[in-house]
Amino acid sequence: MLRKIWSIAYKDLYITFTDRTALLIMFATPLTLAVIIGLVFSGFISNQGSDVPVQNIPVVVVNLDEGVIANNMPLNQGQLFVDILVPQGEPDPDNTLHQLTDAVQGTDAAAARAGVDDGTYRAAIIIPPEFSRSLTVSAEQRQMTPTSVEVYANPASPVSASIISSITESLANQIALGNISIAATIDALTARAVEDPAFGVEFGAAAVTGEFNPDFSAAFDPAVNPIQIEQQSVSGETAAFNPLVLFGSSQAVFFMMFTAMAGGNALLEERRDGTLQRQLVSPTPRIALLLGKFLGTLITCIAQVTLLFLGLTLVGSVLAGELKFIWGSNFLLIGLTILCVSLAASGIGALIASIVRTPEQGNTVGTIVAMLIGLFGGAFFSVETVPIMNIFSRFTINYWGVNAFTKLSQGQTDIGLNLLILLILGVVFFAIGMFSFNRQLDV
Amino acid sequence: MQSALVRVLELSKTFKRNGGETFFAVKDVSFDIQRGEIFSLLGPNGAGKTTTISMISGLLTPTKGDATIDGHSITKEPLVAKRLLGVVPQEIALYPALSARQNLEFFGKLYGLRGGGLKRAVDETLDLIDLKDRQKDKLEHFSGGMKRRVNIGVGLLHKPQLIYMDEPTVGIDPQNRRRILDTVLRLRDEMKMSVLYTSHLMEEVQEISNRVGIIDHGQLIAMGTVGELIQKVGEEDRLIFTLESDRVDENIIQRLKSEIPTITSAQFDPRASDNPDAASMSAGKLTVFATRGRKALPDIIRIANEAGLGIVSVEVREPDLEAVFLHLTGRALRD
Repeated sequence: MLRKIWSIAYKDLYITFTDRTALLIMFATPLTLAVIIGLVFSGFISNQGSDVPVQNIPVVVVNLDEGVIANNMPLNQGQLFVDILVPQGEPDPDNTLHQLTDAVQGTDAAAARAGVDDGTYRAAIIIPPEFSRSLTVSAEQRQMTPTSVEVYANPASPVSASIISSITESLANQIALGNISIAATIDALTARAVEDPAFGVEFGAAAVTGEFNPDFSAAFDPAVNPIQIEQQSVSGETAAFNPLVLFGSSQAVFFMMFTAMAGGNALLEERRDGTLQRQLVSPTPRIALLLGKFLGTLITCIAQVTLLFLGLTLVGSVLAGELKFIWGSNFLLIGLTILCVSLAASGIGALIASIVRTPEQGNTVGTIVAMLIGLFGGAFFSVETVPIMNIFSRFTINYWGVNAFTKLSQGQTDIGLNLLILLILGVVFFAIGMFSFNRQLDV
Repeated sequence: MQSALVRVLELSKTFKRNGGETFFAVKDVSFDIQRGEIFSLLGPNGAGKTTTISMISGLLTPTKGDATIDGHSITKEPLVAKRLLGVVPQEIALYPALSARQNLEFFGKLYGLRGGGLKRAVDETLDLIDLKDRQKDKLEHFSGGMKRRVNIGVGLLHKPQLIYMDEPTVGIDPQNRRRILDTVLRLRDEMKMSVLYTSHLMEEVQEISNRVGIIDHGQLIAMGTVGELIQKVGEEDRLIFTLESDRVDENIIQRLKSEIPTITSAQFDPRASDNPDAASMSAGKLTVFATRGRKALPDIIRIANEAGLGIVSVEVREPDLEAVFLHLTGRALRD
């Protein structure tokens, strides 16, 4: 049976890979798009701050944080956003953030939003009044409470919006990390005081006399903890923010959806031209036939993404002036992710083929589904700053796939959930699709 | 006596209409196909031929009944039964992007052929369909007749005991049609295969079939050799005379009947003949029904000349399957 499955898959692969039009759509189109994107972001790829083509993004930072008094000292954590993003005097030419953004400080949230609406700013970062209260840990408040920083972005400038969103997220993470460090320090000192009475007495006296007045500012000091968008890796590796990875992988997954839809549609075309019936009257189990078709589509999807990734690596290397594999170094996980994304896409292709009646319907429905998944999955613009789409994106293959590829490119390996979801989607979609298609055949 | 290769036993298939009503597409159809026999199924579109054959070939599951090929049930041992069956569908069910050889190899693999066996089978089939010199050309560059030959070749590749051919000569030129019919006869006479054949062309069916089954409204209404079927319905020759005269006396009709005993009836239609060559000069059509009509022809012409009817043309129609179907159903086969 395995030989028959492979014979069917091989036949489909042969037909696909000898069809120039199909190859053009599968490889040349997304690769061309990726090259254009690569050229747009060539400065990023070369990692030379002064060459950044997307620079001086106009941003307004509105700090509404009312601050708190900690250790008899006023503390305003929202001010960190202003201090880091808004240059004091002339912008520092060595500071990537100063090159990337043209940040100014605002005082009125409504005016800032209006500025974004009328195009004065690409984004507004608005820090809420309770920001410090929520994050500051003290003897009275031993735990941080949730708070949110608003990034009001212009959807017409998705790239800029996405960059500002990423920067804000990085800063927020840094501040949260600093607060966690303080809480951990206080907890450790308190625990030691309980265990060691002598130290407890000494520590208590120091606290009363004011001798114990630690300077926690180091935890937030950008000089000590330089917040740069290139340093977002949790594993500690320096990982460049490479738009080719984000946009390249989203384009690859987006175009792969069309390949998967075409694979499913091939079943309908074979049913129409009678070749499917001819295979069905041969001594070939139906499951072998359907698995053969699925395998052909799966391998085509894998080949498409792999070749695109290699092509994008080449483009990135040419632009950066050095050979550099931009997708990370964990080839096993990269391969697994490609497999799982392809599996999920092929599953959707099989599902669509089972719910439509004709190849024409398959083309129409497949295109609509691929476009919708692409739209919500972030193939056309970053959906992270668009609240509702941000939620819907979680239901798309594109999101989980691109998210995994982005993490892998930054040296992260926590993509188990991504792989599991993609795997489940692929298996479930294929099973439903094939069950339904099989029922259609045996009327 | 050899047992039949194919036994079809009370095969039935029901479908549901849009309104949910169930109807029989095929009802209690039973027949046998002997080894080395060409058995043709005849019937108008929608009669149930395709549904019957789809069940025999394992494409559709019967609602009731069964079919066996060499003793293997198509419902209980489908993979074994299918191995004994070759199918040549009416449409060209091939991959245009593949060459003739690649098409044959692909379908050969689905029938379990591998390696040297596959190569031998493909070479022999290419010889049989006379396309060895074009074997590497993509099918999309083939003529309709050549594609049909490959279509037949795929069905024959694994040397089945039974081959089903559905209208294999539709839409091709006379030369390729003759070649295909000769191939079908070779399959029976030289390769000792049984053939299940469907066609709407009476002449083809009459020429090649050992036996014919006539199917209508999902039921087998007659079965036998062509001669038996024609004999069964007792059809006579029809002698159709196009006349210059627009009137034939009843006396002449009576004289024909009395002087020529093989004539069973005769009737005159005063409307102009439908013969375009004779239409301008003729006014009526005399139809005479007679057993062994050709023998009666000289006497009829003599009497017509003596009566001054002016014969423009004569057509002799022997009884055929069309007439049998007309007799059995009251409808023409192509209605």
